[in-house]
Amino acid sequence: MGARENILARIRKAQGRAGAAPTEAEMAAVREAIARHEVGPQPPFAHAPDRLAQFAKECDRTGTTLATVASERDVPAEVARYLAANGLERSLAGWGAFAGLDWAGAGIAFHNRPAAADDRTGLTGCFCAIAETGTVLLLSSPAAPKVTALLPETHVCVVRKERLLDTMEDSFALLRREVGDPPRAVFYVSGPSRTADIEQTIVIGAHGPYRVHVILI
Amino acid sequence: MQIQSMFFKKRASEKLDDAILQGNMKRAKGKFVDGRAKAVAEFGVWEEVRTHAAKVRDRALANLDAYLVEFERNAVRRGAVVHWAEDAEEACAIIAGIAAKNGVRKVTKSKSMVSEEVNLNERLEAAGVQVVETDLGEYILQLAHEPPSHIVAPAVHKSKEQVAELFVRAHGKPRLTEIPAMTREAREALRDHFLTADMGISGSNFVIAETGTTLTVTNEGNADMVTTLPRIHVVITGIEKVIGTLEDFATLIRLLPRSAIGQSITNYLTLTTGVKMPGDTDGPEQMHIVLVDAGRTKLVGSDLQEMLRCIRCGACMNHCPVYQNVGGHAYGWVYPGPMGSILTPVYVGLENAGDLPNAATFCGECAVACPVKIPLPDLMRKLREQQFDRKLRPWSERMVIAAWGFTATRPALYALLSRIGARVARWMGGSEGLIHWLPGIDGWTKGRDMPAPSGRTFREMYRQKRSGASHGR
Amino acid sequence: MKVGLFVTCLVDLSRPGIGFAALKLLEGAGCEVVVPEAQTCCGQPGYNSGGREIAKALARKVLAEFRDCDYVVAPSGSCSGQMKVATVHDLFQGEPDLPEFEKLAAKWYELSQFLVEVLKVERVPGKFAGTVTYHDSCSGLRELGVKMQPRYLLQMAGASIAEMDGAERCCGFGGTFSIKLGEISTRMCENKCESIRATRAGAIVGGDLGCLLNIEGRLRRTGDKDTKVLHFAQVIAGEE
Repeated sequence: MGARENILARIRKAQGRAGAAPTEAEMAAVREAIARHEVGPQPPFAHAPDRLAQFAKECDRTGTTLATVASERDVPAEVARYLAANGLERSLAGWGAFAGLDWAGAGIAFHNRPAAADDRTGLTGCFCAIAETGTVLLLSSPAAPKVTALLPETHVCVVRKERLLDTMEDSFALLRREVGDPPRAVFYVSGPSRTADIEQTIVIGAHGPYRVHVILI
Repeated sequence: MQIQSMFFKKRASEKLDDAILQGNMKRAKGKFVDGRAKAVAEFGVWEEVRTHAAKVRDRALANLDAYLVEFERNAVRRGAVVHWAEDAEEACAIIAGIAAKNGVRKVTKSKSMVSEEVNLNERLEAAGVQVVETDLGEYILQLAHEPPSHIVAPAVHKSKEQVAELFVRAHGKPRLTEIPAMTREAREALRDHFLTADMGISGSNFVIAETGTTLTVTNEGNADMVTTLPRIHVVITGIEKVIGTLEDFATLIRLLPRSAIGQSITNYLTLTTGVKMPGDTDGPEQMHIVLVDAGRTKLVGSDLQEMLRCIRCGACMNHCPVYQNVGGHAYGWVYPGPMGSILTPVYVGLENAGDLPNAATFCGECAVACPVKIPLPDLMRKLREQQFDRKLRPWSERMVIAAWGFTATRPALYALLSRIGARVARWMGGSEGLIHWLPGIDGWTKGRDMPAPSGRTFREMYRQKRSGASHGR
Repeated sequence: MKVGLFVTCLVDLSRPGIGFAALKLLEGAGCEVVVPEAQTCCGQPGYNSGGREIAKALARKVLAEFRDCDYVVAPSGSCSGQMKVATVHDLFQGEPDLPEFEKLAAKWYELSQFLVEVLKVERVPGKFAGTVTYHDSCSGLRELGVKMQPRYLLQMAGASIAEMDGAERCCGFGGTFSIKLGEISTRMCENKCESIRATRAGAIVGGDLGCLLNIEGRLRRTGDKDTKVLHFAQVIAGEE
């Protein structure tokens, strides 16, 4: 017998179930329990009356900066402003969804490709954002390379206000509804990379970005 | 990791005299304990979520085999290969085999305590594979050739001066004095490894049966590099980590970072499911998931099963006054603190665990802090019972308990002996009323005086008082 | 109201004054107090050393001795935890005498809780003019919720309380732990004593004699002959 069979058999014996593997009825019961997708208790602030204010508060806490623009057309100007304000070079690698915007007009070199290790800024969209924790959620896909949010020192993320949800559970419900199975990477980003491994002193910028800037449309 | 748990008392004693360690522990204690307290206070429904979390964990553990099979089915459906390992040797052989088959020369790793359990790095290095730990704390310890002393903050026992010294030797650059500069230097040193590794190894805080998902929880983002950039992703995790649904994960992740470091969420949470999809520009071509037993089935169905709920937040050790004073290395194996005092005896054998089940005053702080309501002191007591029943405690100790039990159930004998004892001890205490040294309890009298009894027992005085009162009537 | 006084083995052996203080408080509040003379120990030292059967034998003995009482009161959170929590949640789970122990647990009180919650005392005989600091013993605090009751009673006696840093942190006693792992125990106690010294209070007061002997032993060893170490019963009974 292999390890799998031995382990399953040991578990069953220890818990007083006969046989070497779960029965069809047991599997059905487990699937049924799973299919209920029972939601546990959530903290009161997860359903804040002002969802945007809750999101802003949590972004502030995690170190994500926030700007609001009226429409997608205004994104390049906001990016230009942000890059200038932080003394960053006016060049970025971005998701294809944003390639059609007027980047040249904002004085920015836009590279429509996944970020490489030496790109300074990556521009992404997101699947949704979560107010409870000040989080943006990225789903990997051919059009949404994860590395663009990970390798550059600055990550700019465009969020549409109507995609701002209360909780992580809401994001799972939306995922099931719009996508089905989770893709390879479901990536929750809440502020810039950090570490406290030396003397429990918080340092921003461990391996991922030093800066996360969210542009709300 | 070499088991040193039988030397707990001796190692603890050394740690108590280590001034640098004592300073580092004192600093860490404040940050962990205060941080968690603040996060819990502002959360609002801590107890409700804790209760639900314990239920969620118990539900999967009660039908562990079926949940694992369901997880496996969904992971395989998404292109992952699921391996099962009964013990450390098997786990290492599986992963070394994957590395060999794919010509892997360099591995980047994000923190995995299971890999510490099975000595994975040693095994891979022996096979000629370069292994690079990428969690900053683990990286520091790899340079120092030391095991972690904490499951969340592995290098908590190191000062920045000690880290600076290690970096000078490893990086060949001028000595740094500031923590941000050290972090930057480590970032630069590790970047190249991330980009050139053939294989990434991560743990998985939970595995989700519903979707066949594994996941990582980090602040640094290192796990994302490890699980995204190399062409092969290997997950090594324990069989007890399975949970039912994404919603269950949402519950648990409200508790984990708050309990661990007082953060409402970590900067990165990543659910990784299967291999990269057609057209994806990043993500691994192969995903292997190694489900490790290595002692866990010994807990299943036993009176210690609640221990399997553990979500590895480290709150029990952060709140343990013993851990706070001796640090993690004293415990002599992968898991320090109260959780280790239960896991070590079970995973490596009670006979190899020495004093660990006794390394607690049962103050109860760990049970209060545990986000999944594991009754840690009760479980430690059950191990003490096993030690007692299997005669694993010293003969003298067992004799004292037996003699005390014999006496305490015989009131007349007890009264006589306690009267004698009270008088003798009173005499020993002299005019100060303090006993400075007493054979048999020198563990006490080495650092403390024993306040001497006042000379007569309550019960004899009470009897005398009562008879005096009735005579006077 | 017939109240059984469980003196505790440590008080019996080492500090009978605490037992008499408890007696005075209970009688002063109008209770008819009985002290079963055959009582010895609640069994906790055996329980926590792995000697489960010894612990059960002693618990049965305690049950037999106090069965007739309306209430049982002990000047200890630790022994009370043993009889209120360990017996019903662990030792006698699934055994025929569980209902008997549930009854005992329901009528068993730690002294300060009994005075405040059952007797609802509004005055105490003791008068204490100085400043004290209070150590919360672990079992009473975490198993039974003893926290405000002794402070309330101490203030009733006129004491002012200077809270120490980490009042709820274990003093390192832990029964046999204090001997088996004496060095760690001593360090934990030293941490506690540092907190006590920092308050500059004239007395450290607590509700469990084990912790108090531990703290007193360390204070005296480190040269402090002056700080009084008292059970709250002694202070509020005016028997310190």
